[in-house]
Amino acid sequence: MSAESISEVMRDPVRPAAASLSEEKRTITVAVAGNPNSGKSTLINAIAGTRLHVGNWPGVTVEKKEALFEYEVKLIKLVDLPGTYSLSPYTQEEIITRDYLVHEMPDVIIDVMDATNLERNLYLTVQLLELDIPVIMALNMYDEAEKKGYTIDSNMMEEMLGVKIVPTIATRKAGLHDLLKAVVKLVDDPSSHHPKKLNYGEDIESAVSAVEKQLKDSYPSLAEKYPLRWLAFKFMEEDEHVQSELKISGDVLLIEDAVRHLKKAHEEDMESIMADARYAQAAGLTREVLKRPELRKTDLTEKIDRIALNRFLGIPLFLAAMWFMFKLTFDVSKPLGDWMNALTFGPFKRWAEALVGLIHAPAWMSSLVTDGVIAGVGSVLVFVPVIFAMMFFITFLEGSGYMARAAFVMDRAMHSIGLHGKSFIPMLLGFGCNVPAIYATRTLENQRDKALTALLIPLMSCGARLPVYVVFIGAFFPAYAGTVLWSLYVMGIALAIVMGLIFKRTLFKGEAPMFIMELPPYRLPSFKSLMIHTWEKGKHFLIKAGTYILAVSILVWFLLNLPWGVESKKDSYLGQVGQVVAPVLKPLGFGSWEAASSLMAGVIAKEIVVGTMGEIYVKKTGEEQSAVKPAFTADLIEIGTSFTTALRNSAENVFSTFGISSLSTKEDEKRSGLKSVLRTTFTPLSAYAFIVFVLLYMPCVVVAIAMRQEFGTWKWFGISFAYQMALAWLMAFVIYQGGTLLGIGG
Amino acid sequence: MNLSMLKPGERGTITKIGALGPLKRRLMDMGVLVGEDVKVEKVAPLGDPIEVTIKHYNLSLRKKEAEGISVEVAK
Ligand SMILES: Nc1nc2c(ncn2[C@@H]2O[C@H](COP(=O)(O)OP(=O)(O)OP(=O)(O)O)[C@@H](O)[C@H]2O)c(=O)[nH]1
Ligand SMILES: [Mg+2]
Repeated sequence: MSAESISEVMRDPVRPAAASLSEEKRTITVAVAGNPNSGKSTLINAIAGTRLHVGNWPGVTVEKKEALFEYEVKLIKLVDLPGTYSLSPYTQEEIITRDYLVHEMPDVIIDVMDATNLERNLYLTVQLLELDIPVIMALNMYDEAEKKGYTIDSNMMEEMLGVKIVPTIATRKAGLHDLLKAVVKLVDDPSSHHPKKLNYGEDIESAVSAVEKQLKDSYPSLAEKYPLRWLAFKFMEEDEHVQSELKISGDVLLIEDAVRHLKKAHEEDMESIMADARYAQAAGLTREVLKRPELRKTDLTEKIDRIALNRFLGIPLFLAAMWFMFKLTFDVSKPLGDWMNALTFGPFKRWAEALVGLIHAPAWMSSLVTDGVIAGVGSVLVFVPVIFAMMFFITFLEGSGYMARAAFVMDRAMHSIGLHGKSFIPMLLGFGCNVPAIYATRTLENQRDKALTALLIPLMSCGARLPVYVVFIGAFFPAYAGTVLWSLYVMGIALAIVMGLIFKRTLFKGEAPMFIMELPPYRLPSFKSLMIHTWEKGKHFLIKAGTYILAVSILVWFLLNLPWGVESKKDSYLGQVGQVVAPVLKPLGFGSWEAASSLMAGVIAKEIVVGTMGEIYVKKTGEEQSAVKPAFTADLIEIGTSFTTALRNSAENVFSTFGISSLSTKEDEKRSGLKSVLRTTFTPLSAYAFIVFVLLYMPCVVVAIAMRQEFGTWKWFGISFAYQMALAWLMAFVIYQGGTLLGIGG
Repeated sequence: MNLSMLKPGERGTITKIGALGPLKRRLMDMGVLVGEDVKVEKVAPLGDPIEVTIKHYNLSLRKKEAEGISVEVAK
């Protein structure tokens, strides 16, 4: 498995267009199945050049994804499936996998094995073989197995199973060429596949053949549609899913007879008997082919966990890690954000004005472009560096294996609010964006868990809220930026706990779910994959800014400038609505129509709050900014030099965050128009109340749609909307009124 | 004696799985079987769940779930 042979594969990129060209060519459908976290998605990404979500924790992939590409004049469709430990489905995404394999009957299954975990992975292999679909095994994570000193006799394993086995290292793209060759060979010559029939012991075998015969006689149509042996086993195991789906109930006399006999002999229920029999096969195979070193070294994972999961240090370390993450996010991205801000409201705005002037557009058009589009989209784009920094850290957390530890450390706390440690993962993802977090609730075992988690996710402060915080913190709390930011995230978490407790006692009475989870070893994500997946996450923000926020900015501009010819923004449509709402917000310290209007616009997406404020407030200072008009080339030079300074500053800030040095002398802050205007209309206290309100008030429209999709009803969104509005108002009220009473009014 | 009573570092052999239904199935699918050796590695900072090694990999489960797993402590 040399790297060269694999690079050949990669020179054949995915060519979706070719799909239609070669219609007459049959597409080979290859299902990629295996245990959770065995590297299925990584493998597909490496082969087909896709960018499927990967992460070092079980349950990353939650729905089936396809990748189409050409290989040796064949069209191959790889189907990424959610990981599963067994074919008796347990979570929703495991059902997806099982149903796909049984109903769609792919041409080949690539069984991706974690070579460091042979026995448990073979337990699934044994079940896949029952399906009568040709199987090829990818012995993945081969590097880690070797590092552990394992030797695996794959020739012997091939012989014992009658299945082709290819060692692979998906992260290094090793072995993939051989794997694809094996797939093509198998499809070209199906007779080359001679899987050994695994013998589960005499009594089970005789029972299963009796059942098989019975099924064949009584349900010939079923026997044609499904692999008979598999079907027989499922009946014996009394798999409810299969039984209800096939609508077989009555004529099961013979099955019962065979099963009763077995149960009596083993003094066990049928499922346990089968699990034992299958594991016996897996264990037998493992014993034959795997040699472990006599002496086990303590590996890196153990060493890290001794500290990360330490009884006393575990939780403080977790909180500190989060704090550092937010502080670094803020410090590193700030100079770059300032740079983009200067760029947008300096040169870009000037160029746009010049352009509009050039085509002699009417004044309203020029205002639409500069005050609407540039102020709206621009003030959001400024946050690209912050968002990307945040996504970078989340990607790192996901790739390192700390996510699963966070679930482990936090489970007790989560349990007390009726949740699951695993709910913690969607919640952490929620810090990036609530939308994928809502979808990630799929990894949870039952509906109750999913719904409760989804209700609390909006309290996790997503990337879109960051722009609002950044503006306000920059204007009011520059000296304590990291701490104030951290306080917001912590407040979100704390309120999630409180709300969880309330929901547990009201909406979600009943048993809390179980917690059984594999803890993967720590892994260092490669720089390249960090970049790719950070980009994949951040891209959504860019697309959103380019489409959605652009459209809304234009809409907001119109709402701010209609009825036609309004003198003051206050009398515009948005302003009028703002005036109606403002009194409600008065006790919170920001009862101005400007604040109210911005919050209303932010319902669509929270970043828009800033954009709208940009449009409402900045106008007033717009004139002074465009007083001097440097030449185009001077602009370009300035952009370049200021960018290098910004880069240098953010690099320096990395060190100062860790207290290594405080080189970065605080540069005299470039006065961004919005910040200075804000300082005249808010006090630090009301500013804090305002950002808390932004943190809490209703999830954005996209989250609403995601909730609707996941649960098939508006119910959960409705509850979420109601409680969040109430909570936002209450918290802002407490902060503002409490602060005023204590005299922190400022 | 059940699995939740073992201290970090202690080992045992599973003698019975008392759980029922989906919980039992899940445990068995993950390799928690009668006759298997388990070692308790850690207890989470807040006292629950616990981390064990079984079949050479790390599994975490709650004490409540571990209570249903009877073990015989290895000397
Ligand atoms: N060392 C090593 N790490 C690997 C290899 N293949 C995958 N990984 C890592 O294993 C982790 C899991 O990879 P994924 O591709 O997300 O696994 P998956 O099978 O798709 O997982 P689920 O979607 O949760 O079922 C990631 O951190 C990968 O970087 C390999 O061959 N060697
Ligand atoms: Mg995956």
